[in-house]
Amino acid sequence: MNWRGEVNKFLSATYKNWIISKRNVFTVFELIFWPFIGLISIGLLTRFLEVTDDMVAFVLVGAIALSILQISQIDVAYILLFDLWSKSIKQTFVAPIRGYHLVFGALLFGVIRGAVVFLILAVASSRFFGFDFLAGGPVTVIVFLAGMFITAASIGMAVCISILLFGQRADVAAWSLSGIMMLVSGVYYPVEILPGPLQLLSRSTPLTYFLEYYRAAYGYGSHHILLGMGLALLYFAASLLVLNMAIERARKTGMMLRLSE
Amino acid sequence: MLALRAEKICKSFRGLFKKKEVLHEVSLSIEEGEVFGILGPNGAGKTTLMSIFSTLIRPDEGRLEVFGLDAKKKTHAVRERINISSGNPNFPWSLTVRENLNHSAMLYGLYGRDLARSVDEAISAFELEAHADSKFETLSTGTKQRVSLAKSILNRPEILFLDEPTSGLDPDMALKTRALIKKIYQEQEITVVLTTHYMPEAEELCDRIAFLRGGSLIALGTPGELKRALKIGHRIFVQYEGDLDPMKLRIIPGVMDVRASPGKVEMVFDHSERAVSRIIKAFEGADILDIGIDQPDLEDVFLELAR
Repeated sequence: MNWRGEVNKFLSATYKNWIISKRNVFTVFELIFWPFIGLISIGLLTRFLEVTDDMVAFVLVGAIALSILQISQIDVAYILLFDLWSKSIKQTFVAPIRGYHLVFGALLFGVIRGAVVFLILAVASSRFFGFDFLAGGPVTVIVFLAGMFITAASIGMAVCISILLFGQRADVAAWSLSGIMMLVSGVYYPVEILPGPLQLLSRSTPLTYFLEYYRAAYGYGSHHILLGMGLALLYFAASLLVLNMAIERARKTGMMLRLSE
Repeated sequence: MLALRAEKICKSFRGLFKKKEVLHEVSLSIEEGEVFGILGPNGAGKTTLMSIFSTLIRPDEGRLEVFGLDAKKKTHAVRERINISSGNPNFPWSLTVRENLNHSAMLYGLYGRDLARSVDEAISAFELEAHADSKFETLSTGTKQRVSLAKSILNRPEILFLDEPTSGLDPDMALKTRALIKKIYQEQEITVVLTTHYMPEAEELCDRIAFLRGGSLIALGTPGELKRALKIGHRIFVQYEGDLDPMKLRIIPGVMDVRASPGKVEMVFDHSERAVSRIIKAFEGADILDIGIDQPDLEDVFLELAR
């Protein structure tokens, strides 16, 4: 197999996600409607509460991060979700394809969609609430987005792993995991206000560090971006490993067949 | 050369309360270029065996070799050389036929002109031109089946697994699909392993047949060998008047079984050629009123083995 064939194996998931997304009216809601509504609602809430500009930035960073995370993680989860819904999983897994081909291919599409969401929300928040999303400079934005995408990939893989281990009903994880992240990572509040055990959990969640990193540019506390990035990469590698193990297990238990029926 | 060798393949699935054994020590070999049929009643383990052969699922025990490659250790190398088409196939609904084939071709690492050519050839081979830009969800059952068959030849497999390729098709479409399958394996000289519930299909397409029942391989051979082994020959019915010693019939060359009742005899021959002239000779002294010949088919083998 030469390198172009190998590249096409990666791009197979990008291609499928792109075609399905462009035909799906729900994509418009995923990409524009819900993130926009979420951002505007949060922004208006800050107006009502008459919070300072710094506080507005704090909350809007969280709203933007959550939207990026949701859109990018669902793109990785779509590796299995689309096939699960159309009962065509075996068409993918009889082919000479590996877990990382699917993950990186789907993540590429997730990165594109996540970047589009970021741009839309950044422009909207600047226009309507005077939020300067480039306050920390372009490097800050790039590091923040990279962290978001790596974290999203791990969450998307966790959804796939749940489906391969527990079957079709586990697809609910696709919408639940990012909600849990929202709770423990301090999307709308500093993690210090969380109860002790949840604070421990938040400190083991990379999203916490990426939010702190971006918010630090607006004068909110310090950050430990290297620790966050290290954790994100560690989870990413572990998720990839566990995903491959889950695929292998689904072949042994027959789940791969059941998910296609 | 052997295209596939399975040795003592076992597979169980864990249910809510107990383990259910689906395949028990299935061993068989398939020669390169052979069309091999796997038959058996519902629940015999055919689809599970095909899924193991196509590496979609793993056996609990046993060894599978494809072109000498250990399917457990060299899974990806094996997958490059095989493909499968299943009955009642599914593909992502909102992709068109061409897009689904493009996607599948990408999964097999095809690219550029090779990809475009393979997809075009597959569309043309299974007469899908008129549906190429239709979404999968809008297709009829027969057309979906043809999409699945088209997908299965994209990577020019050396072994093609066809799991009930004509299931759910009307007779006309089934006939057409069988002709297309025949054309493909004759033109591309590939090994074909197929399961079917339709016996004439197995008889028409298969060089050899394995029969599964309750997860075990209970018979293996050419359709002719299976019929002979099970004493399922040509049945010849004779109605007569007069005296006849049934013992005289038992010594006719080729006779496998004789059942006599007053005025009526039913005989089973391994071949019907020359049997009638021998029967007429044996009936000297009696008047033959009627003779009927019932050609045996694989249906009889199936019914006998499925009992």
